[in-house]
Amino acid sequence: MHHSIELKDVYVCLGHVSVLEGVDIEAKPYEFISVVGANGAGKTTLLKVVNGTLRPFKGQVSVLGHDLFQFKNLDFLRRDIGLVPQKSNSNRFPILVEEAVLIGRYGKIGFMQRPKEVDWNKAYEAMKIAGISQFSKKLVHELSGGERQKVALARALAQEPSILLLDEPTTYLDSKSQSEIMETIHTIHHQRGLTTLLVSHDSRLVEQYSDKIYLLKEGKGYLIK
Amino acid sequence: MSWVQTLNFPFMQHALIAIFFAGIAFPIIGVFVLSLNLIPLRFAMMHVALLGGAIGLFLKVDPLLSGLLFCILSSMALGPISEKMKLGVGILSGYFMTLTLALAFILIYKADIHVLQAFNILWGNILSLSGLDLLFVIGISLIILSIVILFFKEIQAILYDREIALAVGLPEKFFYYLIIFMLGLTIAVSMRLIGALLIDAFVLLPAMAATLISRSLKQTFFFSSLFGLLSGMGGLYFSFVFDIPTSSTIILVASLIIAGCFLFGRGGIQS
Repeated sequence: MHHSIELKDVYVCLGHVSVLEGVDIEAKPYEFISVVGANGAGKTTLLKVVNGTLRPFKGQVSVLGHDLFQFKNLDFLRRDIGLVPQKSNSNRFPILVEEAVLIGRYGKIGFMQRPKEVDWNKAYEAMKIAGISQFSKKLVHELSGGERQKVALARALAQEPSILLLDEPTTYLDSKSQSEIMETIHTIHHQRGLTTLLVSHDSRLVEQYSDKIYLLKEGKGYLIK
Repeated sequence: MSWVQTLNFPFMQHALIAIFFAGIAFPIIGVFVLSLNLIPLRFAMMHVALLGGAIGLFLKVDPLLSGLLFCILSSMALGPISEKMKLGVGILSGYFMTLTLALAFILIYKADIHVLQAFNILWGNILSLSGLDLLFVIGISLIILSIVILFFKEIQAILYDREIALAVGLPEKFFYYLIIFMLGLTIAVSMRLIGALLIDAFVLLPAMAATLISRSLKQTFFFSSLFGLLSGMGGLYFSFVFDIPTSSTIILVASLIIAGCFLFGRGGIQS
């Protein structure tokens, strides 16, 4: 069985700054992997490498059995990778929560096609799992930071991905909500049979949920669990 | 002569048809500008259109055509160049804006272009549209409306969050460049309608008003088109009644609509 995610000797520079210097990370199917490290350690950069929005200048990156260097266009692969970014959109764009979650389906619907009933049903199911069904008719910018984070999680779930990438999903939350959302993520991970890669600065928070934990420090990755 | 009698004149018929199409379609571009924060870019393109117009006057070709050509070229180049150079579109826009403005003034000065002709580029004249001008307005309006109807979901995702649009597997770059391209076309044609300095009357002001009262992107598009149409038609009517310049009157009507929406609205797209 191939790895869901496999990074070998990956180097990334942003401008003249070297961010990743020979990072090795592996995630087998259905594994829950966490990557911890201080701010600026390159955790978000790592996620960008995995979903193909950032190309390393050296190394090997394989996701769901595809060598990312073999493809110029990775849209097909991104449809199978759910991303929950760290920063939720903070502008006042007029979009209802249910519409924002439905965007998770857009990559799979096809050009010039309208979302069908099945797409809406998947969006509603994802909202239920993320615990935001009651906000479905609210505007996204009317929600708190934590609630927006759940909208991002629901959107990623509506995508029905094989891999779930989470960038500091507890940033905007108080400690009680942090535990709640980690429980939700963990349950979803098992129920949906996902490979999950979560990055966080808080190693204590992710420890009990993770099959493996990597520490990202000074551009290098160390397996610490 | 009454307002109704003026409708028998071809120049008035051209103006009405142009306002009808531009009033509906061009504010949609304004919604793109506000959502993607392309304000510096549209400002740069206004100056590119100005340079194109000045070159047209210098070469004795239709300034609309030369302005359109320059806007098309710059709209195709600005997005990819900013991505390639890892510069924000805003920084690059600042560079283009000042450079093109300087070149336009040098050209207007050195080529001895008549001051009224130069002012025509700056202020436009909706009452002197040729048949070709009208065709451009209608054609570009129909292109904008068709793209929005056919690709609504892709555009919605990109306007909401480009990073998310990319992450869910949409060709985000293609649509982003398409939006910049449509912005270039719109600005070039608006220059002829209302002038380089007052382009926002059709592009930005109705969109600003719409964002103050809308709860969805569809509503925003609908209200921005409605307000574009109202301010265009109202501006034309009041300019005739009070004998004042049409472009400026359109701006005044659009500004009144914004004030009304601000009083009864709830915010706007920008945070």
